[in-house]
Amino acid sequence: MKVYDEVPAFEFDPERDFKQSPYWFLDSAHSVPAWTPMFGWFWVNLCRHGMQYGAEKLSLPTIKGWDWRFHRGGGFWCVLQTKSEEEKKKRESRFRKAILPFIQDYDGLWDSYVKDMTGRYDKLKALDLDQASNIELLENFEDTINTCRRMWEIHMIMTYGTYIAYVLFESMCRELIGIDESSPLFQALVTNSDNKVFQVNRELWEFSKRAREEGLAEIFLQSKPSEIRERLEESARGKEFMKDFMTLMNRYGWRMKRMSEITMPSWLEDPTPPLISVRQFLKKEEKFDFGEQQAKLREQRLEAESCVLSKVPGEQRSWFKRLMVLAEKSGTFSEEHDLYLDLYMHALVRRCVLGLGRRFAAKGALAEPGDVFFLIPDEVRKAAINPDQFDLRHIVDRRKAKWQEWQDSPNPPVLLKKDFEMDEAVKLLIQSMDPLALKAVVGTMPQVRPEFKADLYGTCGSPGVAEGVARVIRNEEDLYLVQEGEILVAATTSPNWTPVFSMVKGVIVEQGAILCHAAVIGREYAIPVLMNVAGGCSKIRTGRRVKVDANLGVAFIMDS
Amino acid sequence: MSEKWLYWFEELNAGQNDLVGKKCANLGEMTRLGMRIPPGFAVSVDGYERFMAETGAGEEIRGYVLEHMADLKSIKNQVKASETIRGIVESKEMPAGMREELYHYYEELRKRAGMEEIAVAVRSSGAVSMPGQMETYLNVRGREAVVRKVIEVWGSAFTTRAISFRLEKGMPVEKAPIGVAVLKMVEAKAAGVVLTVLPTTGDTSKVVVEGNWGLGESVVSGEINPDQFIVDKESGCVECTVNQKTKMIVYHDSGTKTCEVPEENQCKACVDTEELNEIVRIAKEVESYFQAPQDMEWVLDFTACCPENLYWVQARTAKYSKVEEKEAEYLAELMTRLF
Repeated sequence: MKVYDEVPAFEFDPERDFKQSPYWFLDSAHSVPAWTPMFGWFWVNLCRHGMQYGAEKLSLPTIKGWDWRFHRGGGFWCVLQTKSEEEKKKRESRFRKAILPFIQDYDGLWDSYVKDMTGRYDKLKALDLDQASNIELLENFEDTINTCRRMWEIHMIMTYGTYIAYVLFESMCRELIGIDESSPLFQALVTNSDNKVFQVNRELWEFSKRAREEGLAEIFLQSKPSEIRERLEESARGKEFMKDFMTLMNRYGWRMKRMSEITMPSWLEDPTPPLISVRQFLKKEEKFDFGEQQAKLREQRLEAESCVLSKVPGEQRSWFKRLMVLAEKSGTFSEEHDLYLDLYMHALVRRCVLGLGRRFAAKGALAEPGDVFFLIPDEVRKAAINPDQFDLRHIVDRRKAKWQEWQDSPNPPVLLKKDFEMDEAVKLLIQSMDPLALKAVVGTMPQVRPEFKADLYGTCGSPGVAEGVARVIRNEEDLYLVQEGEILVAATTSPNWTPVFSMVKGVIVEQGAILCHAAVIGREYAIPVLMNVAGGCSKIRTGRRVKVDANLGVAFIMDS
Repeated sequence: MSEKWLYWFEELNAGQNDLVGKKCANLGEMTRLGMRIPPGFAVSVDGYERFMAETGAGEEIRGYVLEHMADLKSIKNQVKASETIRGIVESKEMPAGMREELYHYYEELRKRAGMEEIAVAVRSSGAVSMPGQMETYLNVRGREAVVRKVIEVWGSAFTTRAISFRLEKGMPVEKAPIGVAVLKMVEAKAAGVVLTVLPTTGDTSKVVVEGNWGLGESVVSGEINPDQFIVDKESGCVECTVNQKTKMIVYHDSGTKTCEVPEENQCKACVDTEELNEIVRIAKEVESYFQAPQDMEWVLDFTACCPENLYWVQARTAKYSKVEEKEAEYLAELMTRLF
């Protein structure tokens, strides 16, 4: 019998699980490097719940969400589909009504969800964890789980609704004007910088201007990233600067270096990542202007809109325009939702879990606070009210050892049933018409076209051509190494990577689809992004010259 | 019963539907908005009721209806009832006191317009809208004619449909919530309508102006092919369709007639750019004031110059196909078909 250890009920069991689905894809955007058991428990249980909840609430005709498994610190998933035509018909009639609010008042819907969530966050934050009683701490933990569950419900209702509009728009563009999502015209439409993430970056840019004006720029440029704060606080002016900077963090600092893990400090605990962003802006030319860039993007979008509309037959124009406006929100949403949902919530999960960790360590249940990440909620509950009565260290020791092993030998990108091939799995996924799988995770596979004699092939996430020195970044901690004018090479990117997009000339990522972070931000900054470049990080080495031609879907490693 | 039953438009506002009917209340509101409307006054519903009481017409109608109640279910008898009741109303003379007051207002209107002789339009102004059901008399000249036409408008409240409606609802048949608008006729060079929404698609980013030479009735009735100007609200970009306009409606004696448009004018736009811009400008302002797409009627007076020649005779919330809703359902349908 299989012994369930890290995530009970959801640990991968080849014997049973391959009967259910012949493929299980690794969620490499979120679960590489491997998760700790605590975060894995949160993600697999609650994200899985949210997807099935969202699919059911919208009554998606053929999709019932995803199923998830936990395997060696990785999240693996497959799509759940309806099983009969009759069931599909029933779901269709409910779907027609359930999707209407997205069409009628998208912004109102999103705003009300944001309000709901921020209200819940405020309640969680209200408890002073170190002054709280054991019972209050436990209650805060249970509330955190429930809030996180609600976050995923909202997350998935919104994501499904948004992506469906996007998929329809793309299909209508193909039908009515003969362009698809790889067309620059199309990409200009879904490039929208009027979002919160952009706004945060803008505020960081304002701080870089202030640093320059107040003569603090040298501290940023000369210090090690981790020492910037300390060095600033040596002077009165720097102290004042940090004080205002931390005020900004109180508002926007509820996020961590890694979006989908809770082991790293939030910006509020350690503002090094945003300070690095300020430093990146300081490395840019003085004349760089955020407002100008935003205005330019807006103008391009308006131009693209009228160009596209002029190609649509008059009698179709009205509904098409409405659909276009809706689809344009997808770009904003894919950026903004992280800020209000995943990033914020997971920072709060960290806050609460770490609060428990401190208490457990003080009472002897754990050796140190951070060990709590190697427990799962049932074990927390076991010791929460009387942490002085239990010793959980043996669990931590066992799990830590396993976790280290997972770090050293990463998961494969997909688990396949015997004799089942990757391309069959991708085909199944495309047939499922699951908008999430299609637009945010898998995308289309690159076409290898020998006539280009390219070294690497990929798909276009943002159009353009650029040449420069490669900078391979495998770990977010190394982002500060990126220099102006380089070509960024990475497995994948997340909102924390956004500031370097303003510095680099082009981006190559190993995964991605048209609505993934790298593509959305690449279009915002008007730099080429080549996605789904298999083995990009190992084939390209930092320092080599590379040429990216996203239009053709190729990259060349130039002779040294 | 209120003593006062005649009101200058500027004494009225949109909240006074029940007092003077929709059209008059609306003309009052338009005056308050600063729109140029032909000078005139309103005969209130109280005026109608006083007339019915003082002349005994109300009593007679009640008697007639009581007597024929059993027969009034058939359409044929309703038509007969309508004719009879109209006959009763129109056979009555205006009571002397009321007549004097009407004379006084008409004389005052002539003075206000600064004219020796004034032609007016006498229009029904129902508190419940029944478009096209109640009469409108144009080019009415002389105080006696005005009195006559007011009575005829009152009589016109007794259409077959109005009678059956009141019977069904158990309302007194002789009561009709009807007001009358008496306003100066504009010496119309051209006239027409303006909508701040494309009624066929529900596109609210556009204004559409339609017009013809002569009086606006030719455009409203839809009998001719008017000029059409579609103006983009934001860019001001104009899509202009000048049609051949062979017929127009003009004053004739104490009414109107249809006549040929002089050949040199048939293919000429009936408004110039300056006039068009002024029409669109005001329409947009009214729309933003009421926060809803508007359906408005305009007239250009040939005795004045732009912008003093532009008069408004109607402004109401536009009715247009609920494209928005249908569109949303259509998009939902397209999304369903994705799966």
